[in-house]
Amino acid sequence: MRIFITCLTLLLTITGFSQDYKFGKVSKEELQEAIHPIDSSASAAFLYKNRRTHFEYFPQDGFKAITEVHERIKIYNQEGFEYATKQILLYKSRNNEEEVNGLKAYTYNLIDGKIIEDKLDKKAVFNTEASKYRNEEKFTMPNIKNGCVIEYRYKIVSPFISNIDEYVFQEDIPIKKLEAIFEAPEYFVYKKNIKGYLNVTPQTERKNDKFIYHGVTNNDAITARDRERYTKEINFVTNKDAYELSDIPALKEEPYVNNIDNYRSGVKYELSYTQYPNSTVDYYSTTWEDVVKSIYDSSNFGGELDNTSYFKKDVEALIGSVSDPVKRAYLIFDYVKSRMTWNNYHSVYTNKGVKGAYKDHVGNVAEINLMLTSMLRYAGLRAYPVLVSTRSHGVPLFPTREGYNYVVSCVRFPEGDMLLDATSKYAMPNILPTKTLNWQGRMISEHGGSTLIDLYPSEKSKNNIFMMANLQEDGVLKGGYRSMKTNHNALDFRDSYIGVNLDDYLERLENSYDGMEISDYKVVNDLDLSKPVSESYKFVKESQADVIGDKIYFSPMFFLRSSENPFKLENRAYPVDFAYPSETNYKIIITIPEGYQIESVPEPVALMLPDDLGVFKYNILAQGKNVQLAVEAHVNQSVITPEYYAALKAYFSQLVEKQGEQIVLSKT
Amino acid sequence: MNLKYCVNICVLFTTLLVFGQENLYTSLTIPSGLKADANAVIRLNEVSIIIESETEMHIQGRRIITVMNSAGERHIGANVPYDPNTKIKDLKVSVFDARGNLIDKIKENDFKDVSAVEGGTLYSDSRVKYLEYTAIKYPYTIEFTYDVVDENTAFIKSFVPVNSYLLSAETCRYTITYPSDLNIKTKAKNFDGISLEKEEKPGEIHFEAKNIKAFKYEDFSPGLFDIAPMVLVRSTEFQLEGVQTKVENWNDFGKWMYHDLIKDTHDLPEATKNKIRELVKDEPNDRAKAKKIYEYVQNKTRYIGVQVGIGGWKPFNASEVDALGYGDCKGLTNYTLALLDAVGIKSNYTVVYAKSSQRNFEHDFASMQGNHAILNIPMEGEDVWLECTSQKLPFGFIGDFTDDRDVLVITSEGAQIKRTKKYTVEENLQTIKAQYEVLSDGGIQAQLKVVSKGIQYDDKYSLEVETQRELDKAYKERWSYINRLAIENIHIENNKTDIEFIEAISFQAGGYAKKIGDRMLLTLNAVNRNTYIPDRYRNRKWPLKVSRGFKDVDEIEIKLPEGYQIEAKPENILIENKFGSYKALLETKDEKTLVYKREFTIVDGEFPKEDYSAFRDFHKKVAQLDNSKIALIKTTP
Repeated sequence: MRIFITCLTLLLTITGFSQDYKFGKVSKEELQEAIHPIDSSASAAFLYKNRRTHFEYFPQDGFKAITEVHERIKIYNQEGFEYATKQILLYKSRNNEEEVNGLKAYTYNLIDGKIIEDKLDKKAVFNTEASKYRNEEKFTMPNIKNGCVIEYRYKIVSPFISNIDEYVFQEDIPIKKLEAIFEAPEYFVYKKNIKGYLNVTPQTERKNDKFIYHGVTNNDAITARDRERYTKEINFVTNKDAYELSDIPALKEEPYVNNIDNYRSGVKYELSYTQYPNSTVDYYSTTWEDVVKSIYDSSNFGGELDNTSYFKKDVEALIGSVSDPVKRAYLIFDYVKSRMTWNNYHSVYTNKGVKGAYKDHVGNVAEINLMLTSMLRYAGLRAYPVLVSTRSHGVPLFPTREGYNYVVSCVRFPEGDMLLDATSKYAMPNILPTKTLNWQGRMISEHGGSTLIDLYPSEKSKNNIFMMANLQEDGVLKGGYRSMKTNHNALDFRDSYIGVNLDDYLERLENSYDGMEISDYKVVNDLDLSKPVSESYKFVKESQADVIGDKIYFSPMFFLRSSENPFKLENRAYPVDFAYPSETNYKIIITIPEGYQIESVPEPVALMLPDDLGVFKYNILAQGKNVQLAVEAHVNQSVITPEYYAALKAYFSQLVEKQGEQIVLSKT
Repeated sequence: MNLKYCVNICVLFTTLLVFGQENLYTSLTIPSGLKADANAVIRLNEVSIIIESETEMHIQGRRIITVMNSAGERHIGANVPYDPNTKIKDLKVSVFDARGNLIDKIKENDFKDVSAVEGGTLYSDSRVKYLEYTAIKYPYTIEFTYDVVDENTAFIKSFVPVNSYLLSAETCRYTITYPSDLNIKTKAKNFDGISLEKEEKPGEIHFEAKNIKAFKYEDFSPGLFDIAPMVLVRSTEFQLEGVQTKVENWNDFGKWMYHDLIKDTHDLPEATKNKIRELVKDEPNDRAKAKKIYEYVQNKTRYIGVQVGIGGWKPFNASEVDALGYGDCKGLTNYTLALLDAVGIKSNYTVVYAKSSQRNFEHDFASMQGNHAILNIPMEGEDVWLECTSQKLPFGFIGDFTDDRDVLVITSEGAQIKRTKKYTVEENLQTIKAQYEVLSDGGIQAQLKVVSKGIQYDDKYSLEVETQRELDKAYKERWSYINRLAIENIHIENNKTDIEFIEAISFQAGGYAKKIGDRMLLTLNAVNRNTYIPDRYRNRKWPLKVSRGFKDVDEIEIKLPEGYQIEAKPENILIENKFGSYKALLETKDEKTLVYKREFTIVDGEFPKEDYSAFRDFHKKVAQLDNSKIALIKTTP
């Protein structure tokens, strides 16, 4: 008997501690919890997050994907109130749309030791047609107070079985307990793609299932009367993946991350192929080769490459007399850039088609760059489309058709590859817009095969700055400034300079240096993309030195110095992404005021990042009335992994420090 | 004369002829004065308002606009909001190249049609149709024609020739026609230096304005609303969602709002009323009771925007807010009003233009104005203002969102224009008491206490709820001029009773003082440097307006490092001018301790444009003085 009691007590204790995740079983302990036990900074937390997606057979429409969602959220304080509003995105096409049903939602508050529940009123659920392709169902929970718990469940019925929403395993707030299930009938084969830093592996299982098929015999009969309806029970196997995770930390944003979602844990189910009994296999995608093939085979991609009739005459006139292949590539690239304007749409597929785009002078990314590729091929060059995922779209970690949203062109020369993107008017060969610099691209060969190619430029973007200045006794600095920029630095400059109102531009430039006065402003090679772009002006800038007693102190880099370390966080989990390697050189010649002599100058120094990731050199020479300063700063890699973060932070701190070091002048 | 020359002249002549006919579709005909500072030029904007009856208003328009560059795209204005009471009958766009050749036509079906839900809004029944067009080449010209019917006549489009910076206008016409039983009132503003023609005949008013040059935004200038020319238009008889009324003045307007939109919404359940009476029964006076109720509302509710029907003008019922625990500004204001009423405190629903740049209600023009609701409690001869959408603001504190402006206070007897609370220079006070010690390696170890009041409280109170990680970031931003800053300790106190925000912080900063040989250069002001210098304008156009003043008072005790003595130090300084004052003193407390005292004041006010550069110079001088250093030198042993 005694043993029995102990067992019972033990059992009770266990149940007492274990949470009940049944809908509606919100406990007092959950309501009493004042802060998250692990992450005290959390303003809210998912106590429970459950999603099950499976398929049901509907006699009229066939299989549909059913996604059941059940979430229980603890709201610790007002900053977490936003989690009391839920927005459900629903896709739609011309004749089909997803719908939500069975929505039930409650708010729980603990008042005077009693659990009080408030039900979400149906009237407070709003459905909005957000756009042609999307509906939104939105609701907000009643009586949200600090400490409350909300809970809701609903079902999404979707006719779009090839587009299963990603399972999100990590949120911006912590998740205490997560359960997720994906079940698909054997007819649909999905590929699962797991991403993020969490260790996630599902338990898999096969189980038997059945559905009632409503068929019609004699399908060829002309009148309905001649057809015979029948029903048949069909057995099939369901493949099930189940995930269970607990205490998932919140995902936190950091600066210089190309896209935080790349690191968010989750799983995406991508339809590989469908095979119904007694039918042939319909492929969607399985490997990168399949993905590429299915994109390539689409009439809005591969087909567009073969169409040459619409540009033939123009391109022949353009390159007729030119035989040098590199020159031909430049001519065609410039022609497409000047003829076409990008309509700001990303896609790997054409929309109205290359021909229509060519005629209208406007197109999306695929139209412009596939047209370019096609013209380059027509000119006898080995040109290939390259699939790219933009930074905001995330890194394509797994083979999916949605993995890529952008396409550029690559021409192969014996001397090397030339990457081209004609959507930007000032783009240069091998200088792709920063948004496309996202790991690797996938180059598609003539027959639909593919290889990975590096998108990050290997050549450094340079900025050479030359400044000659006279420092006056009152701290005013007068002089001339000239810069020469190449590659991405030049592209960024041209994007911000060309086409803007010059007065406006100058005013902004002056004010970016706290109202420095600028005159004789000149830009050279702004439109000649083959040369570095150069900017020069004369300036007058006040307060560039401290006059204390009979001494003058100043930093010889003056207003050009970086005064702030971009890396402020103590630790970092994700790589630092600079987008492209760079080199900045400063040559500064300073004449000191009459009646003063140079008393001391900073020491020359060279700082290095480990593994040749970067280097900073500072050389200074004082001679009579002149100081000559040469400073170089190199970042040799586009992406720097987090194990170098501490070194990087310290390096930038020293760099900022060194640039601030001062020269001392004393009265003669 | 040879033949070729003659042909050239002919061509020239024909071209001129075309110009003579004022071809507005080509950018070649833009008057040169309108090109300056303009990203787009309105060539012609014709708006025709036809009021058929109190329940039917047609808005028809034709807008020809030349877009000069990509920044001008946003002025095209080919977007039409609509809702269940507004029907779009026709939309059409034609596009012309720089020479005026038609290059594209776009019909209503090709407009994008989306829900017009703004941030913070859960639902709104407003939608918008807009044009999405990719320009091939600049400049180009768009002709946009539209025809819309509205069942409400409460909101009559004003005549606003240019509603944006960097936009100029060649010809703008506005015509309103109306049945003889309606009275149309108009009010023209900001037409100094711009001619406005008005023609009036029975049942029709016509306005025309020409050649309006582009405005450019300037720091510390009056808001666009106070400089852009416009004619406000209203009908004294109008209808809003089936409710018809006649409004001669603000008093009528207030009566109508009170009786038709607000009065019926104060339906609190008896249980709630009793609960509230119980809640405040021990409070000594009305002010304490009102404070208790405001805090009750802050704890119970949150802001959620829901805009349905009555043009978003009718508040939710108080009972509904009571049950749901949320509402928009109207619902929450009204709910607070109903709760106060339950304990016998009279308060008034108030309509305001909310934004940090103050905008006033028009005293002499009773039309639908404002974008936000707050609550007014007349109490012992003064007005207490409550922002009911905030869960955080102290009782009676409204901050820069609704301060110091004319608002419409609505009572059962009518309405009156009142001015909200102004935060004065002396009220917007920040005091810093700090000590820091300079170590012999140049590093400093600092402790400070910052107390902020008034608008300076408003600037900081949101820090209270930030996580340690965010706070660390926030202080590194505040002192971004200190390179190796390591925050050690942060203690924040939000004293809502006295409306003071108190920050106690300690930090260290390696290499703060720069060592140069035997010297050390120390910037005295480590914790409150003014680095802000207003933008410089080559030709300042607008008067200088400082909306809010402030005062900073700092006292910093500095311990000098062992083995160093002062070689040189800056002079004490006092600057006083009409924009404010600046004072910095350095006192010696003992051999090793200095006391740095600083006061910086900026007063609010309006000044002629000629004063702007002196105002800017003052800031520049302060930035320079805040960077003052002392030189220390090693003592010879």
